[in-house]
Amino acid sequence: MQRLPAADPTPPTSRTPTRYLGWLVRRAHLTIVAAVLLAVVWMGFQSLVPSVIGRAVDAAAARDPAHLFGWAAVLLAVGVLEAMVGITRHRFATMNWLGASFRTVRVAVRQAGRLGSALPRRLDAGEVVAIGTSDIGHIGAAIDITTRGTGALIAVTVVTVLLIRTSVPLGLVVLIGVPVLLAVVSGLIRPLHRRQQEYRVQQGRLTGQAADLVAGLRVLRGVGGEAVMAEHYRAESQELRWAGVRTASIESLLEAAQVLLPGVFLVLVTWIGARLALRHEISIGELVSFYAYAAFLVTPVRQLTEAIDKLTRGHVSARRVVDMLGVPDDLPDPPVPQPAPRGDLADPETGVVVTPGRITAIVATEPAEAALVAERLGRYAEGATLGGVPLCELALPAIRERILVAGNEDRLFSGTLRRDLDPDDRGTLGAALTAAAADEIVAGLPDGTESTVAERGRSFSGGQQQRLRLARALVADPEILVLVEPTNAVDAHTEARIAESLRSARAGRTTVICTTSPLVLDRADRVLFLAEGRVAATGTHRELLESVPGYARVVVRGDRP
Amino acid sequence: MSLPLPVAGRARAWRYARDLIHRYPGLFRIAVCLHLLAALTGLAGPRLLGDLIQVIQLGRPEGDLDRLAAALAGCVVLQAALTRFAYLASARLGERVLAELREEFVERVFTLPLSTVEAAGTGDLLTRTTRDVDALSRCVRFAVPETLIALLTAALVVIALVALDPALAVPLLVGVPLATASTRWYLRRAPEGYLRQSAAWAVVTDGLTETVEGARTVEALGRQSQRVERTDRDLDESWDAESYTLNLRTAWWPVVEVSYVVPMVLTLLAGGWLYLHGRVTLGETTAALIYVQQLINPLDRLLSWLDELQVGAASLARLVGVSAGPEPRREPPENPEDTRIEVRGVHFGYRPDREVLHGVDLVLEKGERLAIVGPSGAGKSTLGRLLAGIHQPTAGSVTVGGVPLGDLAPDRLRAHVALVSQEHHVFIGTLRDNVAMARPEAPDAEVRKALAAVYAADWVETLPEGLDTAVGTGGLTLSAAQAQQVALARLVLAGPHTLVLDEATALLDPRTARDLERSLAGVVNGRTVVAIAHRLFSAHDADRVAVVEDGRITELGSHEDLLAANGTYTALWRSWTGN
Repeated sequence: MQRLPAADPTPPTSRTPTRYLGWLVRRAHLTIVAAVLLAVVWMGFQSLVPSVIGRAVDAAAARDPAHLFGWAAVLLAVGVLEAMVGITRHRFATMNWLGASFRTVRVAVRQAGRLGSALPRRLDAGEVVAIGTSDIGHIGAAIDITTRGTGALIAVTVVTVLLIRTSVPLGLVVLIGVPVLLAVVSGLIRPLHRRQQEYRVQQGRLTGQAADLVAGLRVLRGVGGEAVMAEHYRAESQELRWAGVRTASIESLLEAAQVLLPGVFLVLVTWIGARLALRHEISIGELVSFYAYAAFLVTPVRQLTEAIDKLTRGHVSARRVVDMLGVPDDLPDPPVPQPAPRGDLADPETGVVVTPGRITAIVATEPAEAALVAERLGRYAEGATLGGVPLCELALPAIRERILVAGNEDRLFSGTLRRDLDPDDRGTLGAALTAAAADEIVAGLPDGTESTVAERGRSFSGGQQQRLRLARALVADPEILVLVEPTNAVDAHTEARIAESLRSARAGRTTVICTTSPLVLDRADRVLFLAEGRVAATGTHRELLESVPGYARVVVRGDRP
Repeated sequence: MSLPLPVAGRARAWRYARDLIHRYPGLFRIAVCLHLLAALTGLAGPRLLGDLIQVIQLGRPEGDLDRLAAALAGCVVLQAALTRFAYLASARLGERVLAELREEFVERVFTLPLSTVEAAGTGDLLTRTTRDVDALSRCVRFAVPETLIALLTAALVVIALVALDPALAVPLLVGVPLATASTRWYLRRAPEGYLRQSAAWAVVTDGLTETVEGARTVEALGRQSQRVERTDRDLDESWDAESYTLNLRTAWWPVVEVSYVVPMVLTLLAGGWLYLHGRVTLGETTAALIYVQQLINPLDRLLSWLDELQVGAASLARLVGVSAGPEPRREPPENPEDTRIEVRGVHFGYRPDREVLHGVDLVLEKGERLAIVGPSGAGKSTLGRLLAGIHQPTAGSVTVGGVPLGDLAPDRLRAHVALVSQEHHVFIGTLRDNVAMARPEAPDAEVRKALAAVYAADWVETLPEGLDTAVGTGGLTLSAAQAQQVALARLVLAGPHTLVLDEATALLDPRTARDLERSLAGVVNGRTVVAIAHRLFSAHDADRVAVVEDGRITELGSHEDLLAANGTYTALWRSWTGN
């Protein structure tokens, strides 16, 4: 098989779905043209079979064994060639399908990388996920069907011309019959799609419910409620059953139509042909080929209906891709970025000032407020300054390189643990794991850091994920690290260990921690206490504990210290 | 720690499938008969064409010809009608069987012992409930009826051919060995190839989804190029897997197609020869040719569904296998004498070679509050699970009123002890369903009371549809704290006398945790409580504190006693309070 197509140097700039599909066709025009040509030849061979059979029957009728034998040999040759051309066409078609799908995957991954944090803000999550789950397949199928559809169109044309040359009324029957067939079948296809869609939605619901039950099975088995949940599942399952029967009632109509319409067509052609043959206007062999032609036409006509269907779906999918391509970046780079200055990172809105090279902790009466400060400090929202220069006047990549905001909504990526935590092999993974108290997690894994992380890190508990994320941030070792609630899912022992080792792990670097844990606050160089959106007090944990009653209320639970 | 769930043997899966169909003998017979009749009417076409040719050859009047054409049209209409009802009948049967199959499967899942679920992990079970049920659905809805129809049609065509003249059917035999040999070769390799192909495709789509959903993380860590490289690697693997199956098809398809053509050519020659020797008419020869051509379609369908049938059979074996799990616990004749829980000389390990608990003794006093503290991985949670009867000790005993917990069926066990873990789950359904799961008959007033007991009444009141509000995936999203409150309200309704709380307040911000403690207070009122504490404040409030280190209880006593003892607990408490 041919090599995987190379990545495209420039992303498509298509603004409309049709143009995007056009771009895909242009990128692979050689294999697409080849697939069209092969489809035409393949269909051509198929349409030859009836006339060869007709000639053979004529030879038999004429009691001419030599010709009969000759036509039989031709039939064999045509059959073998058709098989060869058919499989070659299929190989090209598969390449076109995969090529278009893979290109779309690449385009989407690159665009997601470019958009970054703007993506979740600007696009509906469901739309985005649909690109991964169904759209790439639909787009591949749309590109593939263009080649087969073209072949089918040409085959229908050839047969019509052949028939018209033999008999004008017969040709007219085909000329009128095929569009009628297409219209009726595609008329049925639309309601079928609707029901199939309903079925899929219901199937998704049922699968979702089953997954929900399994996910909560431990809870369910722990407190009971199996009977209620089984009843819910049964109700949804019966819904799906009837949705299936409703779909089948249209499907069965379509099946019947696919028997009836070509059948009527066949009878008509045969009847007219037979009358012509009776009047000796055509031979019996020609009559047999007419019959065979009418029977053969079913295949290209089906492919044409399939083409209409798949192109529609491909178009809808391409629209989603184009929409994603068109998302603007809402944190634009300034036209002339300032050179990155040294100095303090600050958030004027709240009065937070971060001292370089030290650990600064931010405590807010409302934890969400501290998280907002972190957003601004990392320029995920506007407002913070670095050395007095607003962050929005600096180049974004430079900010991202110097400031890392690591929060609990960050996700672990699937693959080996090492690849996610330390992609550049910096050699600091061991130290970072120890500092994040994640060394024991890795020790418990079958293959250590080479073990596989499941999708979304699902195989790890919440606390384990948190420690692994922290280790990842420490490996990245940015000049300024902003941690949002880095230890709220781990136990006190581990928290104490992390708080202690963070000091040496971040020695000489700037660290901001949004937290309310007394264990972590006790190890910070400076604590900023935010009340009602402003810094209300600054000092060490112990100083604030003694002098600011509001602070003690936030960080120490219960009534006592 | 993972112990896979069993898979049923071929014979058992097959028996199960047969039994399912046997529940609806009437429906099954109707469906088969309709398909048979539809296929039969489909055979009339070539036969009538043959007759037409005879009319033309013998120069009979046009009226004969019109009558034959009308008969042909009648057959087409009849075949179309039969096809419609045959499809509908088999779909009705299929959907019914399918529904029963998945419902029975879910019921079996519900009877799995907790320890089995724990040991197998939910991943395997999730795959079976989602992917296998879907795969089987595709198989039952399409592959099974299509195969059935193809088989019936092919058999009838062969019979029709033999009825014309047995000699005309001989050429078919030439195609058989060619087609079977190549198909066997293909089917030996195809299922594995297609499984690899769909697995590789799933990696590609998961990778894309992950990049898109985690776009912010990608940007924050500057992982753009890594994601691109990874995508390229996944695409490479997918391409390889696709190439493999494509190559299988490249070898198989042409052979199969040639095995269709060869019999046709031979039928043509044989028919011609027989006609020339006056044994058959020209019409019969033509009909035979068309029959052979008609055979191609059902055979093609049959072959194309074979691998789907294999996949479906494998899924069925996995679904049926779930019931073949370990036997349910045996019921003890006696009832527990009282509600005292005792742990005696307990050893336990998830794997034989790695013991987690090395000899634990503990007696819970009625109504007391015991806090278990200790470093991560010391065995706190494991001890909690044994106390809740989820795992059975490998040595020693955990008993309630003298009866081992492991001997109690889940529904009886729950009346005694329940585990509240960090793993709360809001089920898809109404809020009422979520609270009243264990006691569906509980009146609304009691459900509200349970919610009020955990201080959840405030936000429940503000819900537009109150207890009828849809929650869980797709419904209203509850915050972590609200979800915990729902879990606790559930317990209030279920009402066990002993509660094991594991990390119940972890993952919450301190303010919420404080609210939740208040909720917890509403639950624990009057019950024996074992709290596996990650934050020490709960230890302070406890009647007794057990310090677990390295699989043993090293300190046990009240907060004051342990502080006075100046051991591990003292050190912990000091670092936590900063004194």
